[in-house]
Amino acid sequence: MLKYITKRIIIFIPMLVAISLLAFIINISAPGDPVEKLSNSADKEGAANEQSNATKKVKQELRKKLGLDLPVFYFSFGSMSDCDTLYRVEDKAHAKTLNELSHNYGNWVNISDYFRKLGEVQLAHSSLSLEEIHANLKDKNGNAIYSKNEINDVITQSSFDVSAMMETANPAVLNAKWEQLDNLYNTYPFFGEIKPAFVIAKEKYQFMLDNKESWKTYIPTIIWYGSGNQYHFWLFGNGKDRHGIIRGDFGFSYIDSQPISEKIWSRVWISFTFTIISVLLAYLISIPLGIYSAYRKDSIFDRISSIIVFILYSMPSFFIGVLLLYTFANPDMLRWFPVSGIQDATLFDPEWSNWEKLKHRAPFFILPLVTYVYSSFAFLSRIMRVGVIDVFGQDYIRTARAKGLGEGKVVMKHALRNSLLPIITVFANIFPLAVGGSIIIETIFTIPGLGLEIFNSILNSDYPMIIAVFTIIGFLTMIGYLISDILYAIVDPRISYK
Amino acid sequence: MEQNNFSFKKYAWNQFKKNKPALYSLYILITLILIAVFAPFIANDQPLYAKYKGESVYPAFATLTDPNVRKSFTDVETGKIEELQYDITDWRQLDLESVVWAPIPYSPDKGDRYNREYVSPFGKQRIKNANNEIVEAPRRLRHIMGTDNIGRDLASGLIHGTRISLLVGIVAMGIASIIGVFLGAMAGFFGDRNLYLPRIKYYFTILGVFLGLFYGFGVRKYTISNAFENGSSGSWELLLSLLLIVVIIVGLRFISRFLMFGKLKEEVNVPIDTFVSRGIEILNSIPRLILIITISAIFTRSIWLIMTIIGLTSWTGIARFTRAEFLRLRELEFVQAAKSLGYSNFRAIVKHALPNALAPVFVSIAFGIASAILIESSLSFLGIGVPDDMVTWGSLLNLGRQEFEAWWLVMFPGFAIFITITIYNLIGEGLRDALDPRLKS
Repeated sequence: MLKYITKRIIIFIPMLVAISLLAFIINISAPGDPVEKLSNSADKEGAANEQSNATKKVKQELRKKLGLDLPVFYFSFGSMSDCDTLYRVEDKAHAKTLNELSHNYGNWVNISDYFRKLGEVQLAHSSLSLEEIHANLKDKNGNAIYSKNEINDVITQSSFDVSAMMETANPAVLNAKWEQLDNLYNTYPFFGEIKPAFVIAKEKYQFMLDNKESWKTYIPTIIWYGSGNQYHFWLFGNGKDRHGIIRGDFGFSYIDSQPISEKIWSRVWISFTFTIISVLLAYLISIPLGIYSAYRKDSIFDRISSIIVFILYSMPSFFIGVLLLYTFANPDMLRWFPVSGIQDATLFDPEWSNWEKLKHRAPFFILPLVTYVYSSFAFLSRIMRVGVIDVFGQDYIRTARAKGLGEGKVVMKHALRNSLLPIITVFANIFPLAVGGSIIIETIFTIPGLGLEIFNSILNSDYPMIIAVFTIIGFLTMIGYLISDILYAIVDPRISYK
Repeated sequence: MEQNNFSFKKYAWNQFKKNKPALYSLYILITLILIAVFAPFIANDQPLYAKYKGESVYPAFATLTDPNVRKSFTDVETGKIEELQYDITDWRQLDLESVVWAPIPYSPDKGDRYNREYVSPFGKQRIKNANNEIVEAPRRLRHIMGTDNIGRDLASGLIHGTRISLLVGIVAMGIASIIGVFLGAMAGFFGDRNLYLPRIKYYFTILGVFLGLFYGFGVRKYTISNAFENGSSGSWELLLSLLLIVVIIVGLRFISRFLMFGKLKEEVNVPIDTFVSRGIEILNSIPRLILIITISAIFTRSIWLIMTIIGLTSWTGIARFTRAEFLRLRELEFVQAAKSLGYSNFRAIVKHALPNALAPVFVSIAFGIASAILIESSLSFLGIGVPDDMVTWGSLLNLGRQEFEAWWLVMFPGFAIFITITIYNLIGEGLRDALDPRLKS
């Protein structure tokens, strides 16, 4: 048995790695740039496109805090054309463009030359002064040639176009932009140093096209980065301000930039209480029911209960939940229970004793609890019934009866204990079911637990939150499987002889 | 005499027929499939046949091939020409000489502006007639199951939602059974000790998988993503990539034939059963519903994405059953005979073992479809599964949740989901009893 348990624990490790990898892959492929989202939520007042030095510095620090300045994984499997230091590029959109360019043309040195020059063109826009241009450009009579509005529009247009060029690798789009900007710079004389920089950038672009090394794309390479990577960082932290998910650090919420772990732990206990109570209740109801209908197999009670359980089994829990709401919390039907939440904010007093709190909350708990219990109950009692029927056919039951044991002892001592075996293994299945179901049930009844939290994060595209919940539930599920497997081995000695 | 004509299929069908609930479920399923296939003719706001200003037209059929079909009608008395675009015309307002409506004369996605704000099936329903008066709707044009907040017809939504529900089940389980049967058959047939490959072939196969992924997806990633962004050729490019992967793997295996010498020729054991079993264990321990919710929350919502994820995560049951069957079958005489006759492993698997191993797979598929439909409707119910403009049973039920008055938005879609899941479960049970004679003791 010890051997089995050791083996089981050893298998547990690759499972943990698998789920952490899965969560990480989803994490890094979520759309949008986390730095932009977090810095936007940090100060909503500042203009988003204002790239002042201060905001730039804040963003750099943020990148470092999130570990985004690191390569993605321990190693990368890509083509020879890929740049191995691409992760240092700050802007996610720029990094994507660079990656596509290097994928298309393969000559990284020329590409980075071109891109750097384009960046200089973009930067040079900030050196243009609207007032100066307006004051300096006069015709013979001393009137300004261009209105301030026109100058402003043209500069914005040019800056916008250059930014757009930095975010595309499509040759058709790029060619159109080159031509458009060429015309713009030839028409308006006030672009000063932008124009020569632009001409050089264009030459570099042409040079890049002429010297392309597309063959590099077809040579596979593996690059080793070591432990300084995003996955390692995400998992273990950096030993300073970030602790990694194994120590409960899940990053920051996009909505208010607060640490996610704090938000989650305040919600977990509600969901957890509901799950545990409901699973216990489901076991308490389904075990006697399963035994009785198996003992009286094919009796009227068994038939009717089987049909009811079968119907319940096919009934989606959200349908049951909504039906319960309709019937028992509806002013037009029966107003027995409150519609939503776990307490009435107008009545609830935090000073109350625990008993009073419970008394106040009890009516709020009943409908969700019924829905919770029902979703595992139908499943459990079906399994229980089949299990008991199976056990009743075994030899040791016949032996027990032949020994002259009382019927009660046969059922309670011999049959019950053995038929509990399958139901233990099922515990691991019930657990994720209950947690997953909690999203639906908590949303229907507006219970402020983990499920409602994940639902709200989905509506608000708060990806770090979603991924954190996914990771936690994944880990909990696996621990549930581990515990139930070990329990099974302890309860059933036969398993170790396999 | 009878023994000679014994056919397992016939026997199983007879057994299945004896199970009345399963048999009736099968009939209901066939009805549902017919409803899904003919949905545009069962629920459509364009008439099947209409005679307008002396001309006979078939709008529901015409828009099927060309959604933007137009036609000009000339008034015989005034000579005025009226051009109608079929799909945006409100045919109910026209002064039609004769008309054959679809059984449910509404489309699922178009709101009826005279019956907004949750009109009950038994309540007062209005319609605008040819004289521009708003009157009580005639019986034929009533919303028999009521409407939602923007006046969409519930009955029509249910009819068209049938398509999505059935499609989800079939596509998801199609993917799952391809993966599950393949892996389960390999694991069960070869086990841990029976698959021997020359070392070079083994290494080259692994190399082929890596190179295939590299050339199929790595090199072509921008080709594929651009094709998806620009239009419809994306799936074609994807298919091409998959084909490329297969070609590379097969090609490398072929090359390995010419490198058979010395140590490279030695045969090594491939513990394929361990690989598959561990894979199943890992995948089983991932909470499926949460995974699907997470992925559909983060990526662009699409019904195809959901079907694919459900398919990719639910093959484990099928693989387990197939593996168990193959473990049993490979020891039986007819498979041994096929082997000893010198047939290739491929032939022994596909022609001899597989047809006999499919029974539990069918059972598993039936239950799997039920759970796929349940997952899809749960997601739609939460409003995170399908795009907002798509009408599914779950999304209809979600509308009802927000409005206590509108009981019809809860009851009808809820029962539709319930019945579909029930019939699949009943068919699954019927199949299990019919196909597995061991249970019939």
